[in-house]
Amino acid sequence: MSSNKYFKHEGPWSDANDPLMVSDTGDWRTKRPIVDKEKCIFCGFCAMYCPIQVMEMVEASHFTPDLDFCKGCGICAKECPKNAISMEPEGDF
Amino acid sequence: MAAKKGKLTKVLDHLKHEDPFSKGVAFCPGCGLELLLRFIPQVMGNDIVITGTPSCSAPVLLGQNNQSWHKLSYFGTLMTGAAANATGLARYYRKAGIDNTVVCFNGDGTAADIGFGNLSGAAERNEPFIYICYDNEGYMNTGIQKSGTTPFGATTTTTPKGSVHKGKNLRRMNLALKMAMHKIPYAATATLSDLDDLAKKLLKAKEAKERGFAFLHVFAPCTTGWGYAPENTIEVCRRAVKTNYFPLWEAVDGKIRMTKTVKKPKPVKTYTELIKKFAHLTEEDHQILQDDIDYEFCILGGLSVLEGECQLPVSAQD
Repeated sequence: MSSNKYFKHEGPWSDANDPLMVSDTGDWRTKRPIVDKEKCIFCGFCAMYCPIQVMEMVEASHFTPDLDFCKGCGICAKECPKNAISMEPEGDF
Repeated sequence: MAAKKGKLTKVLDHLKHEDPFSKGVAFCPGCGLELLLRFIPQVMGNDIVITGTPSCSAPVLLGQNNQSWHKLSYFGTLMTGAAANATGLARYYRKAGIDNTVVCFNGDGTAADIGFGNLSGAAERNEPFIYICYDNEGYMNTGIQKSGTTPFGATTTTTPKGSVHKGKNLRRMNLALKMAMHKIPYAATATLSDLDDLAKKLLKAKEAKERGFAFLHVFAPCTTGWGYAPENTIEVCRRAVKTNYFPLWEAVDGKIRMTKTVKKPKPVKTYTELIKKFAHLTEEDHQILQDDIDYEFCILGGLSVLEGECQLPVSAQD
């Protein structure tokens, strides 16, 4: 699922050059958040409430999740005041 | 046509420091603790030293083998001596002349049950560190056992629903109020639905730490242990505040002030309907829970009068 930018090794280990461990949490996801750029009013509620803090600002116009790490909990979709985020089943991608 | 762009929430302005945690850490999806744990260093700065005990936070804070999940300093200790260890660290930094913030970060099991003795002792000695208790109402890491802050009627693995017992048949303790009664420089309750309030309280605690002990009780729901959908974490927090189940207040030098007043509190049923651990509660059980919440809120209301002038209680003989 992930772009495999970070996960050169199996399991949550890193080599000595990389000080931090990372786990492939994007692989846990069963639903994927899709941001509707037109509906997004750039309030930042999704970025604020995201437990993993993966919502990234895109040119001060909308937010987009980092799908390498998004666990797919759906808090962003639930808290979005404009319902601009929808959770789509991961199997469709 | 692009939608009208609004204003960015001011909570993001509080996040002045970088997130010291690695992006992929081993917390459940929708975990309230993860949001809190990433929020604290982003608001208070990355120069804090965290000390904590075996809990849900420990596997991430402690690291694995010789690798770490974060860039902070962490000191793992035992549940019986959490506050005592933080005392030692804080005293060392003070003697060595290092300006540092020691944060004792524990769950409700350590704070309310096992390590309450030395938490109370550290508050009495007014040790200069911040104690943060994240309250998920049970020992979630070891398999959802009941703790002192588990509310009435909640099912856990040690208070299951059966033919005789229906969840915990005892009331919960009010930990934050107990700590405020130590008259420490700062004690407060906070939750994750009101992050602006939480950020302000974290900064106030950091300030109050110069004068002594600061205590923060943060309501952090557990999606696995309580049985609600992961996307409802913030909604559960919000409803807990709106039903006065978890009122938000702060106490500076023992003077209690409500930081969020709910004009028309909703019945506790609007909170319990979201959560599976309360699914078996009958009307009578809800009434007991409601009475308990009203009782605690009543005490809080009486104590917050102290902010103005002290009113001595009327003598019983009159």
